[in-house]
Amino acid sequence: MGKTIDACGLTCPAPVLLVKDVVEKTNEQEIAVLVDNEASLENVTRFLVSRGYSVTDNQEGEVFRIEARCDQNGSGVNAGKAQKTEENREEASSRKILVMVASDCFGSGDDVLGEKLMISYLKTIKEMGSDLWQIIFVNGGVKLTTESSPVLEELQEYEKTGVIIFACGTCLEHFDLTANKKVGGTTNMLDIVTATQLADKVITIS
Amino acid sequence: MDFFTPIVDDPYDFGRIAAANALSDVYAMGGIPRTAMNIVAYPIKSMGREPLREILAGGAAVLKEADTVLLGGHSVEDEELKYGLSVTGFVHPEKILTNQGLCAGDCLVLTKPLGTGIINTAIKGGLASNKTIRRVTDLMATLNRQAAEIMAGFKVSACTDITGFGLLGHIAEMICGTDKGVTIESDKVPVMVEADEFGSMGFVPVGAHKNREFRKEMVLAPADFNPVLRDILFDPQTSGGLLIGCMEKDASALVQRLHGEGIEEAAVIGFVTESNKNKIQLL
Repeated sequence: MGKTIDACGLTCPAPVLLVKDVVEKTNEQEIAVLVDNEASLENVTRFLVSRGYSVTDNQEGEVFRIEARCDQNGSGVNAGKAQKTEENREEASSRKILVMVASDCFGSGDDVLGEKLMISYLKTIKEMGSDLWQIIFVNGGVKLTTESSPVLEELQEYEKTGVIIFACGTCLEHFDLTANKKVGGTTNMLDIVTATQLADKVITIS
Repeated sequence: MDFFTPIVDDPYDFGRIAAANALSDVYAMGGIPRTAMNIVAYPIKSMGREPLREILAGGAAVLKEADTVLLGGHSVEDEELKYGLSVTGFVHPEKILTNQGLCAGDCLVLTKPLGTGIINTAIKGGLASNKTIRRVTDLMATLNRQAAEIMAGFKVSACTDITGFGLLGHIAEMICGTDKGVTIESDKVPVMVEADEFGSMGFVPVGAHKNREFRKEMVLAPADFNPVLRDILFDPQTSGGLLIGCMEKDASALVQRLHGEGIEEAAVIGFVTESNKNKIQLL
């Protein structure tokens, strides 16, 4: 038998996290886990099964001994993979970056250049990875959420991957674009204030 | 009165959730909350004033949404942060709803999806995405006010709000000692997707196991019943939805009204039976 993990004295979710850590870091084929309550027994068993292990357990006095063996490549590998994407996102989700786009033009000097820079910025912003939490479009920026936006497809793609996108309702009305918005929700100043307060970092592009 | 330790990291959100949770009891009784008082236990030396300010601001925002006046409150210094409220509401004596009074043939309507206990366990484990945290936070901070107001337009036999005992624990309380049984159509019970996902990974809170253990004599289920779903049905909820008992002929109209007012996940999840006395049959 490979590694033995003693999770006695711990309550949920600690035992599962302990086992998860070992499974992901060492890729052990055989693991034994000791727990001292039925809730942990069920949770750890369920976790190991979800990662493709076949599991048996037996009781030794107050302690349950869970023995797990990784099945041959089949379902186990797939089960692991399915959870991987969501998890990568989650593990890296320690920061929340809010990007406020207050114009359809990046910087001042030359508006034609500014528009090009803005397109380039919004296409490149995905490099922030899962830190990118929200993009809020205000003032002239709301034009970038409408059907004529040169980055509409990119924004729609970001939204699909979980980035929250909002356009300022007052601004859409001001430009008479309310009916033309093609991506994201509509927001108001109270929500914008709350979002800027909640974010770990706010980047304003104007 | 209800108070608890933080379940989300954001202090403002914690305040909102605690307030929605405390107000919920009054709504479940068919009442209208009018006044509230804060209850605070707070480690002022280690945490400083700012988080407390935010917690109270979150609570106040939800009270405002509930048209409930904050009269004052009481705070003590404590190593572990706790926040909640004592809420007073009004209801006509003849219109008080309790968790007793279900009649055979009644339908049970649930107004919020289940899964906050499991998802909060995954949040503690650092596994939930920001998006999931936001969704479950908003769900917990949503008042049962609108659901209660809609419910008032129907003849309701019994009502309760789903909290620490989980859906089945609260249903057990509704029929315990009566001559009625309840059948739950599990596939109709609204459940947050993430609860299913994290439940399958073993992130089930101890409370769900305890709830299940406590009521195991009352629950009948097919041998192949999905164990993750069973845990979700026993998952302790924070600021859960209302469970409303109403006549079968009114059930679809009630659900339609709830949907119409944006309570989109409301659903008829089961019915009360003359048979299976004192038992909950899971389908």
